[in-house]
Amino acid sequence: MSTLSALLKREGLMQALVLAGLALVWEASSRAGWVHPFLLPPLSDVLVRLFTDMQSGAVFVDLGLTLYRALTGFVIAAVLAVPLGILMARKRGVQWFFDPLISIGFPMPKIAFVPIFILWFDIYDTSKVIMITFSCFFPIVTATYSGTSHIDKWPLWSARSLGASENQLLREIILPLAAPSILTGLQIALPVGMITTIVTEMLMGGSGVGGAMIAAGRFADSVGVFAGIMEIAILGMVVIRALDRLRARLLVWHPENRAH
Amino acid sequence: MTADFGIKIEGVSHAYGGGQSGLASGTLALKQTDLLIGHHEFHALLGPSGCGKSTLLYLIGGFIPVQTGSISTQKGPVTAPGPDRSIVFQNFALFPWKTVLENVMYGLQKKGLPEAECREIAQAHIKLVQLGGFEQAYPSQLSGGMQQRAAIARTLAVDPDILLMDEPFGALDAQTRRVMQEELRMIWKKRPKTVVFVTHDVHEAVFLADRISIMSARPGRIEHQIDTGLGPERDESTLTDRRFVELGEQIWRLVREQAVLASRGGL
Ligand SMILES: Nc1ncnc2c1ncn2[C@@H]1O[C@H](COP(=O)(O)OP(=O)(O)O)[C@@H](O)[C@H]1O
Ligand SMILES: [Mg+2]
Repeated sequence: MSTLSALLKREGLMQALVLAGLALVWEASSRAGWVHPFLLPPLSDVLVRLFTDMQSGAVFVDLGLTLYRALTGFVIAAVLAVPLGILMARKRGVQWFFDPLISIGFPMPKIAFVPIFILWFDIYDTSKVIMITFSCFFPIVTATYSGTSHIDKWPLWSARSLGASENQLLREIILPLAAPSILTGLQIALPVGMITTIVTEMLMGGSGVGGAMIAAGRFADSVGVFAGIMEIAILGMVVIRALDRLRARLLVWHPENRAH
Repeated sequence: MTADFGIKIEGVSHAYGGGQSGLASGTLALKQTDLLIGHHEFHALLGPSGCGKSTLLYLIGGFIPVQTGSISTQKGPVTAPGPDRSIVFQNFALFPWKTVLENVMYGLQKKGLPEAECREIAQAHIKLVQLGGFEQAYPSQLSGGMQQRAAIARTLAVDPDILLMDEPFGALDAQTRRVMQEELRMIWKKRPKTVVFVTHDVHEAVFLADRISIMSARPGRIEHQIDTGLGPERDESTLTDRRFVELGEQIWRLVREQAVLASRGGL
C-alpha cells in the first residue's frame, strides 16, 4: 500500500517533470530564435500577459463568461437528456419515437447548425447556449439510455416486493443503478460542451475566451492568442477534474472507487 | 378471517420465451402444477436443478405474470409484487448503492414507519443475522455469505405474511447455515407466517419444514408431498431423531429419482 502511494507520488512527480521539460523547450526555442517569436512567443511572455490580465480582471471576465455559457448549456442538456434516456429505456413508445432521431443526430457535426441558429436566434448568448446544449445532449441521452436498459431486474423486483410503487422505482432504484452510465455520459459531454463553447465564441464573437482569442488574432497579438490557449487548457482541466471528483463522491458505493 | 390456506396454486403452467398461451415453442418450466400451502405453514420445495422451483416462487411473488391457471393468497389472486409476499432471491439482489443498514431499512421506510423505528428494527435484524458491525458497509465490500445474510435481514425486517426464500442459505458455510436454520425456525415460531422455502438440501428441508413438496424433473409438477410430523420444536436433538433420519433417507431417494429423470431428459 505504502509502496503503491509512493509509486503514485513518484509518477505524479515524473508527470510534472515532463511538463516542466516541455515548458523549458518552448521557452528556449523562441528565446534562442529557433522559431520566430511571433509564431511562438516565449512562454514567459505568455505568462506575464496572463498575470497582467489577471490583475486587470480581464481574464476573469472572459473565463467567467465562457464558463457560464458552457455550464448553462451543459446543465440544460443534462436536465433534458437524462429523463429522456431513462424514459426511452422504460417506455417502448418513447424509444420508438426518439431512437431514429438520436441515431441521425448523434453523428451529425453540430457545428453545421451554427448558421441556422444565428438565423433563428441571435449571435448572443441564446444561440451559443443552444449550440452547447445541442452538442452535449446526444452523448448524455445515449449513455443514459444504454445504462438504464442494462439494469438487472433483481433489484427492481426486490424493491417491488419490499413495497415500492412503480413510480418510486424510477427515482429510488433505477436512477442510482444507472448513475455510473449517466455520469460517464456527462463526462463525455463536458469536454464536447467546452469545445463547442470556444468554437461558437470564435464564430459569433462577443466576449469570452474564444472571442478574446479571435480579437487578439485580428490585432496580430500572438501573445494574446497563446494566453487564450493557456486559459482554455486550465479551465478545461479544472472543470473536468471537478466532474471526476463529483463522480467519485456520488459513486462511493461502486467497486470502481475501491483501489484494493 | 378464515385461515384455511396460505397459498393456493391451481393448474399453473409456465413457458419461457414462447407464445402467450404458455404452451408454444419456448421452454416449458412448469406444467399443470397444483399446490395447496396451509396458512402459516412452513413449506419446503425440493427438486432437481432446473425443474422450475424459482419460477414457481417468482409466480407467487407476482414478479412474472401467471400465464395459465391461478395463484391466490388470503388477499385474493396474485397479480403483482407486494410487501405481503417478500422474497429472498437466490442471488441476494441487494441495492449496491445502499449500505447494509440502508438496505434493511428500505422496506421499513416503504411501510411509512418513523425513521428512528426503521433504524431500530433494521439494526435488530442485522444483529440477528450476525452482521453487527457491518451496518455501514456496502454490499460490494461483503463476502457472498454476508450479502446473503443481509438480504435475509432485509426481507425478515418487513415481517411479510408470506415469506418466499430461494435457496437462501446456499452461499453460507455449514456452521452459519446451521445457526441460520435454527434462527429462521425461531423467528417463524415467534411471528408465524406462511413460508415457501426452496432448497436442494434434503436435510435442511426436513429440519425446517412442516411439509415438503418434491417436484418432478422439468417441466416441473408437484410429484410428492410429505408431512414431516416432527413437531414445532426443532433443535440439535431433532438431528438425531429417528424420524428425522428416516425421512431424510426416504426423501433423498425420491429427489434422486427425479434428478436421474432430469439427467436422462438430456439437457
Ligand atoms: N428467463 C428465462 N428465460 C428462459 N428460460 C428460463 C428463464 N428462467 C428459467 N428458465 C428455464 O426454466 C427452467 C426452470 O428454471 P428455474 O425455475 O430457475 O429452475 P430451478 O430454480 O428449479 O433450478 C429451466 O430449464 C431454465 O433454464
Ligand atoms: Mg432456482
